[in-house]
Amino acid sequence: MATNTDTNTSPTDDTASKRVVDDPILEIEDTNVTYSEGDTYVLEDVNVTIDRHEVLGIVGESGSGKSMFASALLDAVPDPGLLTGKIHYNRKDGSTVDILQMSDEELRQFRWEEISMVFQGAMSSFNPTMKVGSHFKETLRTHDKNVSEGMEFARELLENLYLEPERVLDSYPHELSGGMQQRALIALSMVLDPEVLVMDEPTAALDLLMQRSILQLLDNLQSEYDLTIIFITHDLPLVASLADRMAIIYAFQFAEIGPRDEIIGNSAHPYTRELLNSTPNLDAPLEDMQPIEGEGPAPVNVPSGCRYHPRCQLATEKCRTDDPPFSPVDGGGGHRSACHYREEAREEIPLNFGKTAEDFDQQLVSDPTDGPNAGSTATLETTSDTPLLSLDDVEVHFGEEQSLIERFTQDPTVVRAVDGISLDIEEQDLVCLLGESGCGKTTLGKTMIGLQKPTGGSIEYRGHDIWEAKAGNTDIPYKEVRSALQIIHQDPGSALNPNRRIADILTEPLRHTHPNIGRAERRDRMHSLLERVGMTPAGDFLERYPHQLSGGEKQRVALARALLMDPDAILADEAISAVDVSLRIGIMDLMLELQAEFDTSFLFISHDLSNARYFAEHGDGRIAVMYLGEIVEIGSAERLIHDPRHPYTEVLRWATPNLDLDAMDAEDPPIREIDVPDPVDPPSGCRFHTRCPVAREACREEQPKLAELDDGDGAAACFREDPNHAYWNSEPLDGAAENPEGLEQH
Amino acid sequence: MVTETDSSSPDDIDWRSETSSAEMSQRDRLAEFYEQSIYEPAVVAWSDVRTRLGIVILSVYLLMALVEVLGLWRNPAPNQAPRLLAPFVNMQYPLGTTQSGVDLFALIVDSTPFILLMVLAGGVWATSVAIVVGTISGYKGGTVDTVITSISDFFMAIPGLPLIIILAIALSPENPILLGVILTINYWAGLGRSIRSQVLSIREASYVEASRTMGTSTHRIILKDVLPNIMPYVMVNFVLAARYTIFASVGLYFIGVLPYTGQNWGVTLNNAYNQGGLFTLEALHWLLVPIVAIVGLAFGLILVSQGMDRIFNPRVRTRLTGKSESVEEESDNENTSAWV
Ligand code: SF4
Ligand code: SF4
Repeated sequence: MATNTDTNTSPTDDTASKRVVDDPILEIEDTNVTYSEGDTYVLEDVNVTIDRHEVLGIVGESGSGKSMFASALLDAVPDPGLLTGKIHYNRKDGSTVDILQMSDEELRQFRWEEISMVFQGAMSSFNPTMKVGSHFKETLRTHDKNVSEGMEFARELLENLYLEPERVLDSYPHELSGGMQQRALIALSMVLDPEVLVMDEPTAALDLLMQRSILQLLDNLQSEYDLTIIFITHDLPLVASLADRMAIIYAFQFAEIGPRDEIIGNSAHPYTRELLNSTPNLDAPLEDMQPIEGEGPAPVNVPSGCRYHPRCQLATEKCRTDDPPFSPVDGGGGHRSACHYREEAREEIPLNFGKTAEDFDQQLVSDPTDGPNAGSTATLETTSDTPLLSLDDVEVHFGEEQSLIERFTQDPTVVRAVDGISLDIEEQDLVCLLGESGCGKTTLGKTMIGLQKPTGGSIEYRGHDIWEAKAGNTDIPYKEVRSALQIIHQDPGSALNPNRRIADILTEPLRHTHPNIGRAERRDRMHSLLERVGMTPAGDFLERYPHQLSGGEKQRVALARALLMDPDAILADEAISAVDVSLRIGIMDLMLELQAEFDTSFLFISHDLSNARYFAEHGDGRIAVMYLGEIVEIGSAERLIHDPRHPYTEVLRWATPNLDLDAMDAEDPPIREIDVPDPVDPPSGCRFHTRCPVAREACREEQPKLAELDDGDGAAACFREDPNHAYWNSEPLDGAAENPEGLEQH
Repeated sequence: MVTETDSSSPDDIDWRSETSSAEMSQRDRLAEFYEQSIYEPAVVAWSDVRTRLGIVILSVYLLMALVEVLGLWRNPAPNQAPRLLAPFVNMQYPLGTTQSGVDLFALIVDSTPFILLMVLAGGVWATSVAIVVGTISGYKGGTVDTVITSISDFFMAIPGLPLIIILAIALSPENPILLGVILTINYWAGLGRSIRSQVLSIREASYVEASRTMGTSTHRIILKDVLPNIMPYVMVNFVLAARYTIFASVGLYFIGVLPYTGQNWGVTLNNAYNQGGLFTLEALHWLLVPIVAIVGLAFGLILVSQGMDRIFNPRVRTRLTGKSESVEEESDNENTSAWV
């Protein structure tokens, strides 16, 4: 695999050579996974070949059977699932084994030594009572390997993953951040030098910047150790930057497989094309992003014929009756698709990214003055009325939980979750808080709606201090404040009480807003609102319990519940990140429509710039970028994306995957450190200086203030905005770019 | 803007219209209450064979208590019948008689109300104190939590049986309710602890925060959001506490710590044993009858508690009342976990 060692080869060459080399490492034939005595298929009729040293990205929505595929590769399907078929594994020396015929002992050795697996939750894969180093030793020992040699290799791996080997090996899992744990887990899975790495959503619990960094590292590892990687995810753009080939799973079957460029740029399956169009990204014009109607089927009621036909816009009678074969598509080596109408799909469903990237830029250049700027400056400054919510120098500091012994031996550590933030939210405003986990965005959001008491500064609702109102010291009743500020949570699974029917859940807000209405009227109200949020037949949904709803539906109920309070502001805390990609745009559209109908403000928390962009640009709002408890840049979505001023905003911009094939093979991350510093002890001066690619000596001492931009909307906190600052005369810090202008190439 | 397609309402009420004058009638409330709190649980409970059996068994005991309360069977007295009559021989004395010619069935029936009251008191006391203590300290947290936790730790540290024996000797309780309370005097501490930890995690759930955000009062949150979620656990423990009460009382009667208030199951057992019920065949039934009564009650309670678990589980509930199937697939777990 000459091409593999050189990652700079253009992607087309790379994949082209892949196809020619006929050296499959895994051949999967007629493989099925069934439950309930063969009645329910959770993986059906899989015939796929995986080449040695390729990266295969497998994309599917939740409940599509993609995790089952990962388990099947290791013959580890959870009971009582039944795995049938053939999975041939070709060893390096040319011998072949059928994984499904192996004895338990053979399997035990096979897993980890030949094929290794990385799961999503690092925390549950590590034993919390064992140091990370012991996990490595244990693994080496159970597989009868030389421990000291193995540990040597482990250190090398950890170093390649940008971790300090000694520190990590000597820590307990919980002492590491989520991103570090996940990287340590990747190192652990590679410690026996396996041939194949199966990764099932290995980064889903991390935020975007960390995900992208890890993918970048994986790319390096793959070429360095000649790995074959099978990367399973729901996030199409994420894996697109890494994969050589991609496969799309829909409803327990492969819908399409092919070289990455074919799948992204020239897909021959309506589902893939619509999925691409529904993925929020930075390149496509907003109007063209469309959600896919409906949801994927459950294993018990898979549609007849083509499984996608209930959601497909091209479906015909033939699709309803005939199962389309998973057969090769003309012109694309190894490109296969399960659809009767591939050519039509390519013609009828145009892809929205790429095609318009240029006119889009132009349109932006042409109206930077009257479009976004005029709108957002108006919301930013000029309204003379009292703002809906006004934060003045708000601080939230948490004393960290301490164990009994620590209480005696150490000073209490204080986490500065939010540190001196001032921000005004107008009526019907829209603000997105953007940042990595641990930057304090959720804490700030909860402070804004009065759920978290600030330890310093004040927060006012229409000119009345919220916490004074709670204490009863103002003329405005606290009840009014309370009902004006509502929340939608991140995890739809726990947002609704599992023991109450939807009708009861929605009755709760009505008890506050309309305490005395009759049963029939109450029902009518809930009924009409459920229909408005797209849940029909509403009468049926009212009688259900939360477990009978899908994630997207739960989130709609949570939205309806918040709206029934008739609020002035709603905090949406990562409200769509747990929802399937194909449904996200639908829910965001709904929120935006309802914002207009209800005259509410929205506070939208996200770690994903493309979601924030969609929201802010549509609603003509602002994006506030947070870093370690501070707002480092704020402005309209357009300005932030096309003219980011703070280096951190640029980093986030880099971390947002896009679907543009030319720009896909990402460069190294424009940061000097992958991990966020400990918020207990934030860096001096500019808090970003430890990671900033253009940091200089001056940044270490002085803290930049959030200052209005002269030539754009919003504000940024970086010395580079001030042409006369001492920054320009000081020395670059270790590892920072000598010539900071290099950054200015957007 | 809103299109009411299939709403049943005659005068278009949508979610934004002003409050209408129609008030929620008492009948509406009652109908709703009946549907949710009586009809549905009953259907679910009855649908399970074990629960059904449990309910039947417990009904038998209730019936016996009723017989006693209404005075439908003779009171036990010495020499009311031939001595050591075997059971099912003379249908006038269906369970036979004791050494001193007391009708065993009369003996059992006579003390049924006493035992049931005691068991109920024990179970109710243990669980209700545990619920109150556990929810308050779990939900409120802070100093309240620290104080309550310390107190319950103290109670957990006291050895249970000696304490009960001392209390029983000191107070010689003859009232069944007082007796039930004494027997489970520190049962709540451990249970309260585990309820507290469950409440702690429920308190953090998003839906509780959502209720708080709506301004729902704390007691309503506890009533509607917290308690239903710990109810299955509480019910199971109610039964365990009740069972513990029976066994403890029988044990203490047997070793003679508790005052003999006439005859009851424990006392009967003790008498039978002392008269050699274990060794002679003629007296065997004398020993067996109270044992069967005790074990039967415990068994019935356990069966019912298993059913309780199902009543509180919405998944089972929806399946059995003929509502739509659960649509949730086995989760692929794409939930991104807590971003701070
Ligand atoms: S076979 Fe028909 S329904 Fe299925 S994806 Fe193709 S066009 Fe759509
Ligand atoms: S002030 Fe310095 S360290 Fe901070 S963002 Fe600007 S250049 Fe980077």
